[in-house]
Amino acid sequence: MSEQQRDAFEMRTRALFQDSVDNLDFATRSRLTQARNAALEAARGHSPWYLRWTLWTPAAGVTAAAVLGVALWLGSPSGQQVGILAEGQSNFEDLELVASSEGSGDVMEMLQDDIDFYDFADKASSPDPAA
Amino acid sequence: MSTPVDTLNTAWMVWDSLAPAVKGAVLEYTRELEKFLAEIERRAFRMAQVALRDSDDALDVVQDAMIKLTRNYASRPSAEWRPLFYRILENGIRDLQRRRTVRKRIMTWLPGPKEDPDNEAQDPLENVADAAPAIPEKLMQAEAMQQLEESLRALPARQREAFMLRNFEGMDVAETARAMACSEGSVKTHYSRAVHALREQLGEVW
Repeated sequence: MSEQQRDAFEMRTRALFQDSVDNLDFATRSRLTQARNAALEAARGHSPWYLRWTLWTPAAGVTAAAVLGVALWLGSPSGQQVGILAEGQSNFEDLELVASSEGSGDVMEMLQDDIDFYDFADKASSPDPAA
Repeated sequence: MSTPVDTLNTAWMVWDSLAPAVKGAVLEYTRELEKFLAEIERRAFRMAQVALRDSDDALDVVQDAMIKLTRNYASRPSAEWRPLFYRILENGIRDLQRRRTVRKRIMTWLPGPKEDPDNEAQDPLENVADAAPAIPEKLMQAEAMQQLEESLRALPARQREAFMLRNFEGMDVAETARAMACSEGSVKTHYSRAVHALREQLGEVW
C-alpha cells in the first residue's frame, strides 16, 4: 500500500466515524450529557486536595488560633502582669485564692490565729508603704 | 503594638480575601473538566459502541470512565486527561467483554433456550424500516460505516484500540502510548497492522 493510498484510507475512515458521531440521536446525546453531569457532581465531592474546603477550614481555624495565641503572649508579657497585680490588686484576692483551693481549711485557721502578725510581715516586706 | 483583636481581624481579612480565590479555582477547574468531557464524550461513546456492539453498555462504560477520571485523576494536569480517560475506558470495555464471555459460558451450561445474551436487550422496533426515504449518499455512508465497524470488531483488541485512538481520536503516537500503557514502538506496530488488516478486509468494497 502506498503512502497516498494509506492517507486516503485513513481520511475516509476518519470522515465516516466523525459523520456517525455528528449524527448521534438526541436520546443518546441527552444520556451522555446526564452522564457528564453525574461525573462532574462526583468530582465536586472529590476535588483536588489543595482545593478542598475540609482541608482549608480547619487549617484556617488552627492558624487563627495560633495567631491569637502568639498575639496574646506578645501583647501581655509576664512582667506587666506582675506589675499590675502589685499596683492595683489587694492581697486579699490572694487569700481568696488560697481559701478556694483544696485542703485550705487548716491554712485559713492558721491565718486567722495570727492575722496581725501576717499583716505586719506583709507591710514590712513591701517596699512601698502605700501598698 | 497591635492588639490581639486587631491581629485576629487581620487574619480574618486575609482569609476572606483568600476564600474567593479558592472558590474561583474550584469553579475554574470544574469548568475545564466539563469542557473536556463535553468535547470527548460522543467520540468515546461511538468507540465503545463499536467495541461492545451495544448502546446501553457503551453508555455505561463511558459514564464509569467519566466518573473514575473526575474522582481519581481530576487533579492531574489537563493535558493528561485524554490518555487517562481512554485507558480507563478501554479497561472498562475489556472488563465488560470478559463478563460477557463468562456469562456466555454459564448460559451454555444452563438448560433452556440458547439465546445470545448480547441480543437480549435488542428492541424489535430497532429493526423496523424507517418510513422516511433515506438519502442514497447517507445510506451508502451508513453502510460503509457498518462494514468498517464489523472489520474493527474483527481486529485484535490492541490493534483496534491503536487504530481508533490514532485515527478517530487524533492522538499522536506518544499520547496513544500513554493511553494504551505501552511503548511508542508497540503503538506503531499495532496501528500499522490494523491499517493493513482493515485495508485487506474493506479494500474491495471501498
